[in-house]
Amino acid sequence: MTNAAVDRMLTVTLRVSRFTPKPERPGRRRGGSPFGSRSKSPFGGDAAAGRTNRARGKRWTQEYTLDVHASDSVLDCLLTVKREQDPSLAFRYSCGHGMCGSDAVAINGTPTLLCTAKVRDWVRPDTPGFVGDDGFRPTGEPVDADAHALDLDALDPDTTLVIELAALPGFPTQRDLIADIDPMLDQIRKLEPYLKASGDLQVTDEGKINAFEYLQNPEQLARYELLSNCIACGVCEGSCPVYAGGDAFVGPAAMIAASRFINDSRDGATASRLTALMEPDGARACQSVRACSMHCPKGIDVGEELWQTIQKVDAARVSSEAE
Amino acid sequence: MSPKQLETQYDVVIVGAGAAGLSASLGLVRSDRFAQMKEEGRTPRILVISKLQPLRSHTGSAEGGIAASLGSIDHDDWHWHFYDTIKGSDWLADQDMAEILAKEAPATVIGLEHDGVAFSRTEDGHIAQRLFGGHTAEFGKQPVRRTAYAADRIGHQILHALWQQCVKEGVEFAEEWYVSDLVVERDGNGHTTARGLVVIDTHSGKVHGVNARNIVLATGGAGRLFHTTSNSWDLTGDGMALALEAGLQLEDTEFVQFHPTGLAHTGILLSEAARGEGGRLLNADGEHFMDRYAPGHGDLAARDVVSRSIVAEVDAGRGVADPKDPNGPKDCVWLDLTGIGEQTLKEKLPEVCDTVREYAGLDPAHDLIPIKPTAHYTMGGIPITADGNVYEWVDGSRRIVDGLYAAGECSCVSVHGANRLGANSLLDACLFGSRTGAAIANAIADDPMAGVPDEELIDVDSTAVDDAADNRERGIKALLQPANADADDNDSDADNADDANGGAQTDDNPYRLMADLGALMERHAAVRCDHDGIATALATIDDTLAPRAERLHAHSDTAAYNQELTAILEARHLVTLATVMLAASDAREESRGSLYRTDHPQRDDERFLAHSMVTRDRGVAWQPVTITAYPPKARQY
Repeated sequence: MTNAAVDRMLTVTLRVSRFTPKPERPGRRRGGSPFGSRSKSPFGGDAAAGRTNRARGKRWTQEYTLDVHASDSVLDCLLTVKREQDPSLAFRYSCGHGMCGSDAVAINGTPTLLCTAKVRDWVRPDTPGFVGDDGFRPTGEPVDADAHALDLDALDPDTTLVIELAALPGFPTQRDLIADIDPMLDQIRKLEPYLKASGDLQVTDEGKINAFEYLQNPEQLARYELLSNCIACGVCEGSCPVYAGGDAFVGPAAMIAASRFINDSRDGATASRLTALMEPDGARACQSVRACSMHCPKGIDVGEELWQTIQKVDAARVSSEAE
Repeated sequence: MSPKQLETQYDVVIVGAGAAGLSASLGLVRSDRFAQMKEEGRTPRILVISKLQPLRSHTGSAEGGIAASLGSIDHDDWHWHFYDTIKGSDWLADQDMAEILAKEAPATVIGLEHDGVAFSRTEDGHIAQRLFGGHTAEFGKQPVRRTAYAADRIGHQILHALWQQCVKEGVEFAEEWYVSDLVVERDGNGHTTARGLVVIDTHSGKVHGVNARNIVLATGGAGRLFHTTSNSWDLTGDGMALALEAGLQLEDTEFVQFHPTGLAHTGILLSEAARGEGGRLLNADGEHFMDRYAPGHGDLAARDVVSRSIVAEVDAGRGVADPKDPNGPKDCVWLDLTGIGEQTLKEKLPEVCDTVREYAGLDPAHDLIPIKPTAHYTMGGIPITADGNVYEWVDGSRRIVDGLYAAGECSCVSVHGANRLGANSLLDACLFGSRTGAAIANAIADDPMAGVPDEELIDVDSTAVDDAADNRERGIKALLQPANADADDNDSDADNADDANGGAQTDDNPYRLMADLGALMERHAAVRCDHDGIATALATIDDTLAPRAERLHAHSDTAAYNQELTAILEARHLVTLATVMLAASDAREESRGSLYRTDHPQRDDERFLAHSMVTRDRGVAWQPVTITAYPPKARQY
């Protein structure tokens, strides 16, 4: 394929699932001044209660048609929409190159990042009966989107090309493509995602202990380095059929965070970390579906990593029961 | 995450949750004075407010490393780091501050390692270090491996480790809250005191006044002033603009570092390694032009030299258009990697090749790559002391603003001067951020009002903050009205402007405005400038962009998650900041570091060995540079 073909111009329709929350009714305001005492909280209630209620508001599907390069990212398209067609369209974005993790959404139903998704890999003809080369109607994107992308050269030039966008599944939608991922961050926090060093520090001649780093050789680093690259974007969580932002499963992202420390030679809290994962929402809740691995933007084989950790949890459980 | 309720008054509010804001938080809560206050039953009330969830902060995009004379591999000495920093700054850094930076760097990096950063390692388990431009041994004699790194993800590692430590310490965050106003009060003697902030909770669109006895601004840089930037979309100079709007000064805003090889159209950095491995820069005629500008150094000359040479070629009509926009401006040159060979590209430059393939749809082994200089770092910012105190430069001396602090890229303690040395920015943010946190711990420990129970809180004068919050609430309400709803027949100026600009202007939006501002700044102020270009840019802002910013309205009247509302305030911040940046560039009639005045091409130590101190009215005062160890010399590499 030549580059000219890759970077052709396409007319693409973005079909966006939109949602505008209903403004709080004045009568339902919880308290007036934000300076109230602790007991009179203006934010009121328990956070979990609000989460379970589907937010009220207006839901509709909106289409935006624009001319873009095949190599443009879907984020580029949405920024163009904001600038030229509809400034009210809401979606999170920041760094634009897959490092900040803020722009996870569902593209054609598949969780992935807006900024790393290319138009050429995600457009599809807008015909309900569209079937692929294999005779089946595609129902999701394959792991390697490039390999199965449409052959743009073979398309009838008049074919309407569509990309469908919706907020990240598994989480409550707050507005348009913005999802409330606080449940994920709460679950990550719950598993104490910070180094609990075992304390083998070198001591200086004068007895100072904080002058040197913990030693860790490259092989020890390699055991957790990839896990430490997690950007907490939520793509794995949105892909997991067990996870639904609720309390039943702590979720792949939180387990990856815990695994990162379990595998860090400097950390001395492996036993308590494994114990935490013995809770019903931990290792046992994972059903090894492995959908979490499909679109990890950092290339972490999430399902395999979880499996490794689950085995450690099981081993720890067996040995604790034996005692 | 948002606080369940706001306190009557906070002892400390930190704005921004990147490396600087998180370091300040940790410096504060880990200090002995803080622990002592907790023991005494008066735990200080602290809140970190950030417009992004902390893990989204732009710190996470830093790739290269963090400099410290650890000597893991090569013998090193902090004096050499000290000297390199000053030389890199083109002798505009304050040398007492650069000394702190170099001296405390090793402890800072060790501290980050203890916090969990997954540094790359030497075989024997120490923190690995690598070469970086401008870092030398024995005062410029030979390159030294001083930059600690974590593959090409040091920023990600530091950001996540600092956030994790804040989770451990139970630091309270207000995430996706946007600060719209900084409230400071000035008494009859001109003495200023920070009172609080006005913030918008973007989840609901509600405006809150936040009373605070101490405030840290750690909001990051302002790369979005320029169309082509390596910065995230959120780097809109908010903290700097807040300081200006509160009547305070900014220091050395005319210095913006441009990285020479940003991928056209995106501004994403292509590492210097691309040229290190043999990549060549070509103009429209296919000429390998760098030999003409920097004989002996060629494509590997210093960043600012290469950036200026590229722009000079473009200015001379030898630029090329971005293939994505073939009819657009010819403001790029080619980066030619085709001579390197596919195998070497794969082994030595995998990241560069990935970026080019991903974001330009080009194959580096066969295609020329369009590049142009990309705005990377703002050296200037809110003037601070070694402990992070914000000050005003008045009548030849520093006057502290009570209760106001700053840290990181939005601040200027002046360790970077006119040009930042690579791997010194994370160091600045973490090191001076921690110092600021510790300094605030000392200040509040001596403050009898800090941490006392609500019922003992007396004399909380929230009038100024309440007034500002009421004002802002009215302003937000107006912004949420449709654009035509408030057409004012008496406002003939605005009407005329609308007519002159045609119908399209009436449906203006902040995203378009920011794009236009970025293009204007890029044309007249990026990499090089002169008086006439600056005057043109200022006139365009005053006549067109600033009035447009004032007329903006949101296109949805739902306040919750109304991103356009925030974008309008960001656009106004950028417009304000652009005017003072241009004014300071105009006032400095010399070329130094990253600032190149084509009408004043020489450095002029007689007149300008000084920091510019600019206010919102564009007045510029000059603060002499502190020189303790190394008198200015010509900067040669």
